[in-house]
Amino acid sequence: MADQQNMLIRLERLRKEFNGVIAVEGLDLDVVEGEFLCFLGPSGCGKTTTLRMIAGLETPTAGDVYLRGRRITHLPPQQRNVGFVFQNYALFWHMTVYENLAFGLRVRNVAPADIDHRVKEIAASLELTDVLHERARRLDLSTMQRVAMARTLVTDPEVLLLDEPLNNFRPGLREMMRGELKRWQMHLGRTMIYVTHDQEEAMTLGDRILVMNAGRCAQLDTPRHIYEHPANLFVASFIGRPPMNLIDVRYTVEGEKAFLVRDSLRLDITPLREKIERALAGETQLVLGVRPEHLSPGPFPEEGWVQFSLPAVVDLVQPLARKKFLDLKIGDALIKMVVSGTAPFRQGERFPLGFPLHRIHLFHPTTEEAML
Amino acid sequence: MTEYAPSLARPGVRTVLSRLEQKLSSERVFGTALIAPMQLLLWFLLIIPTLIVVYLSFVRWEPRMGVDWWSAPFAFLGNYARVITDTRFWAAVGRSTGIVIVAVTMEFLIGMGLAFFFSRPLPGKRIMTSAILYPMMLPWVVVGLCFYLLFLDRGPVNYALTQILNRPINVEWFKHPPLAMATIVLADVWQWTPFLFLILYSGLGALPKEPVEAAMTLGASRWQIFRYITLPMLKPVILIALVIRSLEAFKIFDVVFIMTGGGPGTATETISVYIYRVGFVFGQLSYAAAMAVLILILVTMITRVGVRPLE
Amino acid sequence: MRKMNGSQILASSIRWLIGLLICIVVMLPITWVLSISLKPPEEWVAYPPTLVPLKPTFSNYIILFQPGNPVGGIAEMVSSAEPVTRAFINSLIVVPIATAASVLIGFLASYATVRFQAGGATLPLFVLTTRMFPPVAFAVPLLVYFRMLNLIDTQLALILMYTGFTIAFSLWMMRGFIEGVPRHVEEAAILDGASPWRVLLTITLPLVRGGLAATGLFVFILNWTEFLLAQIFTSREALTIPVQVSHYVGAVGRFYGPMAALGIVASIPVVVAGYIIQRYLVTGFTFGLVRE
Repeated sequence: MADQQNMLIRLERLRKEFNGVIAVEGLDLDVVEGEFLCFLGPSGCGKTTTLRMIAGLETPTAGDVYLRGRRITHLPPQQRNVGFVFQNYALFWHMTVYENLAFGLRVRNVAPADIDHRVKEIAASLELTDVLHERARRLDLSTMQRVAMARTLVTDPEVLLLDEPLNNFRPGLREMMRGELKRWQMHLGRTMIYVTHDQEEAMTLGDRILVMNAGRCAQLDTPRHIYEHPANLFVASFIGRPPMNLIDVRYTVEGEKAFLVRDSLRLDITPLREKIERALAGETQLVLGVRPEHLSPGPFPEEGWVQFSLPAVVDLVQPLARKKFLDLKIGDALIKMVVSGTAPFRQGERFPLGFPLHRIHLFHPTTEEAML
Repeated sequence: MTEYAPSLARPGVRTVLSRLEQKLSSERVFGTALIAPMQLLLWFLLIIPTLIVVYLSFVRWEPRMGVDWWSAPFAFLGNYARVITDTRFWAAVGRSTGIVIVAVTMEFLIGMGLAFFFSRPLPGKRIMTSAILYPMMLPWVVVGLCFYLLFLDRGPVNYALTQILNRPINVEWFKHPPLAMATIVLADVWQWTPFLFLILYSGLGALPKEPVEAAMTLGASRWQIFRYITLPMLKPVILIALVIRSLEAFKIFDVVFIMTGGGPGTATETISVYIYRVGFVFGQLSYAAAMAVLILILVTMITRVGVRPLE
Repeated sequence: MRKMNGSQILASSIRWLIGLLICIVVMLPITWVLSISLKPPEEWVAYPPTLVPLKPTFSNYIILFQPGNPVGGIAEMVSSAEPVTRAFINSLIVVPIATAASVLIGFLASYATVRFQAGGATLPLFVLTTRMFPPVAFAVPLLVYFRMLNLIDTQLALILMYTGFTIAFSLWMMRGFIEGVPRHVEEAAILDGASPWRVLLTITLPLVRGGLAATGLFVFILNWTEFLLAQIFTSREALTIPVQVSHYVGAVGRFYGPMAALGIVASIPVVVAGYIIQRYLVTGFTFGLVRE
């Protein structure tokens, strides 16, 4: 856990309700200074609302927001010194780029000479010097985005809040801008909170990710941990492309051995018996999860691998350049597998299917939390 | 079509082509037919009369002369010369302009204030905004009547003033030139502030919210946001509203006619009232025509200047 | 709406009160007229004036239509007044007809200019400029016309003028609504073999019903309240309500009660009409000038 000292922002039991609809519920969060934190989740999960509450553009219904230990929950945005980059940039289109950048300082009555110096400094670092005297409405998208960022940087805010700023870019350019953003953040050393619904984006950009679902925190962790140890079914199925395979199974014991069973399909998981029984506490139904990229065709090494009792049948082959996605039928379950692009799989082919045991994920059927 | 071998050209293509041709020419015919009634009306009621007015301004004609208007003697620029040296004319222009400046400014300021007041959430806002709009809808004459009754001798306004100032006040509003003007301006402001309010309110509502939020995060106070963001973005709307209202205010007639009849004497004689009197009371139609043409030119030129910032 | 704390509730209430105050101030003048219209003669110029009539009566309204009627004891005072019935009938005939004509012709012309650019691309703008001229300028030659055609003081003359002068409005107001009907809907019908007339009447017309209503109400208000031209072109036969009001105000005898009553009655139709189109008015009166 981050220690008290470099905690920049803290959210405590944050809650926001709009006309009876609960947008954010029971959110606790500590933001470390200097980190790149991503808010990730599907539309309507409350990530933008949370961001706006940090900025002061929305007031929480309950709970508190702290900035450097100071309670700012009801403070208007003007007094918070946060930078906010809007999804559609919200530039002052009737002003020039220079005036846009200078605005934050102008309203603070900074001397024109100082304003000039600072604006030019920031413009240089974001390569905007050439367009300083263009009207904001004439710019192209990527320039607008840089102006939006630059505008927030001029006032030297404590934290930068970005609301899906790359949404308007077509895929190729988007990846490129992602890289630029990450580079700037590291270079500037500034704390950034970045809202996105694109899990790939969050995984590549974030030092930590807050995954949100229906207004609640689903998991707060580094990308790696989220990938390897999803805390619940939602996170497991949201992260990863193609998403994790999830199969409903039943746990049974036969003498010494423990199995996961689904009709005639069985999986021997005896090495995990103790752990599972402790976590299950009497339940027998579970959800088995395994990522498509961890599945493998036989033959398998002796140790640490498990194999399904039934063979898998290839239902559909979807070739991409470097990989292939296979739709498999195993028993009555449909799962996906990722293999190398050159692997010679054909529709209708049968083969034994297995995966490393430590790659297994088990989820409680009702709480949907990860066991193990 | 000739490039393709006949066997490739399907028989249907020719029919489609000719149908298209038919459609195009019938479109033209159709279109012309549709605008015909309007063209008729325009020419009959607006364009030809304008030409006649221009013609009339170059002759000397009064109906009581007993001559048909087309055989009236030519006066060339005589009428115009007379207009330009007519102090009463220029006084009327001055009054109309004065009314425009004072009334429209007030309407703008109050309307703007109202627009801002109502742009924040308020219970019962819809009913209140509805109520505020209705002075615009009343017949001009009723507005005139209304204010006439208000400013009567021993009427409510005088009574209210007496109560407020704690002295017996019984101003004869319609007998003193500046006071009479004041009542007219007041009537116009009461009737038309809602118009300015409406346009500014709609404009405010149509403004995108995000730049305002961005300005907030950058530390701008409400006043600063208004001055640097809201107002500049509203400029086109404000301009149009002012131009429209000013043009109408310049032509003010009904209210003046009802409340003061142009009096006392000529104290409230606006340009429309003066032209009316010259043309329809004194019967000097060609002189009135010359005045109308002159005013028209003046107004067009000024409108051009006012509208240029929009382009 | 949840108030977070006491000071917010206070601020909110104050704002509501201010709003109420504004409404009252706006309503006050016309309320005074209403008040007089319900007062008996002795209260018309009573001093100090009271807002609420001490002895409210409808006799002023009755007198409007029947000046000889002795009710309320006003008859002697207003014997010189003329019944307003004639003005009413005239307004009720002229205004609806002129409005309908204006909307219809404007709709047809608007359709032609939007879809086919009939009459050239500048025609709509040209039509707009006609609104810039003071009507008094047109009155002169129109007087000449109508004299020649013996149409002075007739309903027909008014109808013609009202239609002609509001056509610019009809044209421009319908424009937006027609542009809102996607072309492919009409084109589908054309390809099915419908004649242009059919398309116009059965496809486009139903889709712009709302626009026709809004335009109609707007033009109705304009026509109903028109004074200048009516004043010039009518006298005893075809006078409209606004002219009648001016007669009452200028008349010797100071019968304020019936005057006020007339004012109220004259206002009712347009207030109702205005109320109906408020939906159209408050949303989107920005002429497309505010950019996103």
